[in-house]
Amino acid sequence: MLYSNVHMTAGTLGVYIFLFLALYFEVFLLVSFFEKRPLGKSSGRPSRYPSVSIVVPCWNEEAALADTITSLLALDYPREKLSVIVVDDGSTDNTLAVANRFADHPQVRVLSKKNGGKYTALNLGIENCDSELVGCLDADSSVERDALLETVKKFEENETTMAVVPAMKVLSPRNLLELMQAVEYTLGIFFKKIFDNLSAISVLPGPFSIYRREMFAITGPFRHAHNTEDMEMAFRMQSHGLSIQNAHTAIVYTKVPRTVSGLIKQRTRWSQGFLLNSRDYKHMYFNKRFGHFGVLVLPFGLTMFVGAMYMFSYILYHLIASLVNRGMTFWVAQVPFRMPTFHFDWFFINTSMLTFLIIATLSMTLAAVLIGRRMAGANFGTGSLVSYFTIYGFIAPLWLARAAWGAVRSKESAWR
Amino acid sequence: MSALQPSFEWKKYLLVFVITAAIFATAFYAAARLNDARLTELRAAESQISIDLLSNETQYDLLGQLSCSDIARNPVLSDQLNAIANQLSYAEDTLGANNADVIALKKQYSLLEIKDYLLMQKVAAQCGVHPVFILYFYSNAGDCSDCAREGDVLTYLRQTYPALRVYSFDYNLDLSALKTLIAIRGVKDRAPALVINNQGAVYGLQTVPKILSMAPGIKKLATTTAQVASESAR
Repeated sequence: MLYSNVHMTAGTLGVYIFLFLALYFEVFLLVSFFEKRPLGKSSGRPSRYPSVSIVVPCWNEEAALADTITSLLALDYPREKLSVIVVDDGSTDNTLAVANRFADHPQVRVLSKKNGGKYTALNLGIENCDSELVGCLDADSSVERDALLETVKKFEENETTMAVVPAMKVLSPRNLLELMQAVEYTLGIFFKKIFDNLSAISVLPGPFSIYRREMFAITGPFRHAHNTEDMEMAFRMQSHGLSIQNAHTAIVYTKVPRTVSGLIKQRTRWSQGFLLNSRDYKHMYFNKRFGHFGVLVLPFGLTMFVGAMYMFSYILYHLIASLVNRGMTFWVAQVPFRMPTFHFDWFFINTSMLTFLIIATLSMTLAAVLIGRRMAGANFGTGSLVSYFTIYGFIAPLWLARAAWGAVRSKESAWR
Repeated sequence: MSALQPSFEWKKYLLVFVITAAIFATAFYAAARLNDARLTELRAAESQISIDLLSNETQYDLLGQLSCSDIARNPVLSDQLNAIANQLSYAEDTLGANNADVIALKKQYSLLEIKDYLLMQKVAAQCGVHPVFILYFYSNAGDCSDCAREGDVLTYLRQTYPALRVYSFDYNLDLSALKTLIAIRGVKDRAPALVINNQGAVYGLQTVPKILSMAPGIKKLATTTAQVASESAR
């Protein structure tokens, strides 16, 4: 009994440590936000219009591709300065046929290749363009009309900016899972802006990240990078000291998984990619040469990964122990099961230090979500918030655990 | 082209550490204040029960007998004691069994239980009622793996038969009145131990069916507090 008491105290100490680190990270982000608040959308237009190529890598996207190309062609940008390069990566459905319906359009080029993965399609598209700026748009995404203008204005602000990432929102969320992800993406808008303030953006999302084409001469092309080429490119740019900025007024919409299994598969890939890319770039961890990216973003990303699994394990352990204990009591002591009766008594409300810290952590997360919602003009209600704060905690540990296991075995996660 | 990296902002990291530590300190302070409020509430409840018990005992001394109708007015004194027991147990779990305030409250509670037990024996003799008494001796020193389960058994019985008088005592509590009770009842240091209706102590986990078979009178007890009140008033 004494050993189990010591054991439990050590377990609870772990909870306090991770809560401290989580709070530290959240406080840091909020302080950074208030140091440099984002400006609203300006009405001005860029002083000049650089040439832009948008590469659309696609594999078996016959259902969504036409809408994606249409939204690109509808961008508010001089037509002679914008070209769309669709790269079919060996699709086995009618993707190529859909793409070829646009082949006669003066702004569209269609390339086809053997299946080799998204990064090979991106690289082929980049090789086949000579524009000043080059970007990509996943075939299941679409852009707001002024997204490119807002991005180009960001490049204009600073000539050292090598890449600009947009603000991503979920396209038409309907079911509970999509609503939960809509909240998550809104939190992502907040994170991107803060990481921008800290010069520590850690991923260049597939949908509508735009690069100066000359940058690839420094970094080299996209790599397989454990099926997370967008994350690896951000790590690589940070390691070269290249500037990545966030245009939070450039809005991009993306489809998200509608089922739990689809979500877990996607997030396992992202999480495992983070772990394996971290291993490849471990020299950046705690290295102040790489600024806040090396000292804060990377270490805290990994800490939160481990912390989330720890907390989930801790809660699961106690829940199972409590249920087993209850079961044994009923079986051994022959105490019949009785539905508990509830009556409110403040005396028995859990007001431990741990409770207040959890409330503080969740409150700061909520604040970040609301800030992100305001920044992006997102529109979701209380139901979405509730689903995020309740469902996420149960599902996320599943993909984290799968990713950790996959990373340990260094087994590549499925792309699709 | 490389972006210029500004000099590292160590002061910001320090500021954030201070803010985070302040949040922790605030949480600690809030939890401590609420625990103090709990102890204050417990003391107030015990004080009220103490007054009620003293009032009944003083009445007995004045009149030379107990007014059974007055007992009818407070048929569920043990309900109040049970409510304190739950609160005391929660405080013990929250603040720890070695907390000085918790130990002091436990001692006072144990004294109140003993006084209630003695008073109810007088009531039983004088007013023609037949309560069932269970003295339960437990240990939370880490040497009684069955004590938690025995507590669940007695809680179930108490909830099913509100007239059942269950008095629970921490065997290791340093209280002379408790030690006297233990000596009188001949209870050995083998928790959990039950003394049912002043018979010899039984040791080890006693299940629900076992207790019902040892004290068949339990099944005849009222199963609602309203029934308890009306039976006491007759």
